[in-house]
Amino acid sequence: MKRRQQGILTGMPFMANIVPRTFVDDLGRKLYLAKVPTRIVSLAPSITEILFAIGLKEDIVGVTEFCDFPPEAKAKPKVGYSHPNIESIVALRPDLVLAPRAFLRADLLSKLEQLKIPTFIVDPDSFDEIPGRIQMIGRMLNRSASADTVAMEMRQRIAEIQNRTEARPRPRVLYVLNSQPLITAGPGSFIHQVIGLAGGTNVAAQAAVAYPRLNMEAVLTEDPEVIVFPVGVAEGIPPAEQELWRRWTSLSAVKKGRLHQIPADLLNRPGPRIVEGLEQLARILHPEAF
Amino acid sequence: MSTITDQRSLATKTGRLTAQPGTAGSSVRPGTTPAAGSVLTAKRWLSVMLGLSAAALMLLLACLQFGTQWIGAGQLIELLARLVRAGGTDAEAIGTTGVILFQVRLPRVLLSFLVGGSLASVGVVLQALLRNPLADPYVLGVSSGAALGVSLAILLGVGTTVLALSALPLCGFAGGLLSLVVVYRMAASYGRLPVHSLLLAGVILNAIFSAVIMFVTSIMDPNRSAGMMTWLMGNLSAPSYSALAIMTAYLMVGVFILFKQARVLNLLTLGEESARSLGVETERVKRLLYVVSALITGAVVSVSGMIGFVGMVIPHAVRLVLGVDHRILLPASALVGGMFLLVADTTARTLLSPAEIPVGIVTALAGGPFFIYLLVWRKDRFS
Repeated sequence: MKRRQQGILTGMPFMANIVPRTFVDDLGRKLYLAKVPTRIVSLAPSITEILFAIGLKEDIVGVTEFCDFPPEAKAKPKVGYSHPNIESIVALRPDLVLAPRAFLRADLLSKLEQLKIPTFIVDPDSFDEIPGRIQMIGRMLNRSASADTVAMEMRQRIAEIQNRTEARPRPRVLYVLNSQPLITAGPGSFIHQVIGLAGGTNVAAQAAVAYPRLNMEAVLTEDPEVIVFPVGVAEGIPPAEQELWRRWTSLSAVKKGRLHQIPADLLNRPGPRIVEGLEQLARILHPEAF
Repeated sequence: MSTITDQRSLATKTGRLTAQPGTAGSSVRPGTTPAAGSVLTAKRWLSVMLGLSAAALMLLLACLQFGTQWIGAGQLIELLARLVRAGGTDAEAIGTTGVILFQVRLPRVLLSFLVGGSLASVGVVLQALLRNPLADPYVLGVSSGAALGVSLAILLGVGTTVLALSALPLCGFAGGLLSLVVVYRMAASYGRLPVHSLLLAGVILNAIFSAVIMFVTSIMDPNRSAGMMTWLMGNLSAPSYSALAIMTAYLMVGVFILFKQARVLNLLTLGEESARSLGVETERVKRLLYVVSALITGAVVSVSGMIGFVGMVIPHAVRLVLGVDHRILLPASALVGGMFLLVADTTARTLLSPAEIPVGIVTALAGGPFFIYLLVWRKDRFS
């Protein structure tokens, strides 16, 4: 492979078709793509959503069993999720596998490398990186224009939310991933960042890990004003869980009845719809600003 | 004859504290301490129980002070006074600290004591029944059965409430009971229950249930399986007082039934043949004890997940110090087990505060090395 000269011409629009087709993924691995992949396997719901959003629904040949958005994704062949089936991936003859870092076992990655199936890890560390990752996937797959549109729209909506919530008092928020035992999202998680962007203060901001098991005593001391429950599609907060929380009558959130739900998929998936999750959360935290 | 006045002399001397056989006239119930080197006297029983109860009470008060925020002894009394004046745990009257103390910390401390005591009692009984030092509530597969019940409930998203308890404990309980019935049917051949087949049945059932639990976890939404895994690691949370009361009543009845069988347990440790020749209806008693043990374990697992090592280590430790007479071993183990889990849970909720560690990890880390110590260095007294 001849390394192309990288010069000032590289950035010019008319040179787009001859720019080096080498990409660096989130594990720092370099991937050279001689031609644009047309048989893509996605190993994460977020990646599937990105691919659909930039208009690649024809090129997706395999998804995980949790890829349920957009609905057409459900019709695609499944390859598993936390334990993807290597044989079914191979059988799909992909020319690119897009995978997240989480849940991807090291042996699977080395096996894919051994089988010469190009694998690219997409795993943004922070909220701000998501639009950039979408653009990168767009460049890899020759969909720069639509990826740029998606990314730009995301950035605009994020800026809009920040404008509306910036000057307002920031309510203390508890995000309940699991009630018993209580697990919440701390610093280092996407959700912590989303709470900040939506104009709230995470009560678990002091925690040492990304998904701490929070002590109930700490919750009572921090006194959250809003409690947010991520829920599945078309599902409310289970009555038993609500009862569990209504017991703590000294909490401001319980006094004011501010127990809210938010679709879990919107905030769990670092894809285009995370902005929608951000908007919903901002509306919950600052109903008067919208 | 020696008298024991306090806890310390107990720990150093008992086990060796033997009244002379001639003085056996003063024993509580004469004549039935076969394997023990010591004769149980009313005085000794009473002093041990009083000493342990006092220690437990002090420990309970001490552990109430620890948490995300330190509540000193003075503040404890002040808050108690406010509680009495307000006549209830009303948030406005007792303040946030009061809510933390009376609604979060106290019920949790009580629950940990209750759970620890129940697990240790069941451990004593199962070790005596199976005449196997490795027996504990987990060996029979009861706990994994309960755990399976709960994981299935989480998978299917059961979320209804029955009797102030959420559905999860009930499912766990059903699972525990089911596994007991299966073990029992598997092991019962020719109308009797040979010890080794019961142990084997337990081991096999454990393996099957663990596999199913792992299967359930692997097909679960990863975002939800995290919650379940933490639950499985052993977890105590602050129960509401109504739930705590139901639990206490239930476990107390169970543990009391076990206590009543202490003398029979003494005979059973001699061997079933001997026990039968001494007039014990062995099969009936064994069935009763297994069922009660399973019911206790099912209930405990359903509120606290899998907390290991309490049922195994505590009976050994207490037996080393107090001897093998179940009339003293059982209640003493219950108290010591309660204290052990109390300290373990206090560690679990304060060490990384405001985050928590699953208490099952603490008990295993504390109990495991102790067990190795017993096995390696105290071999002479450990049989």
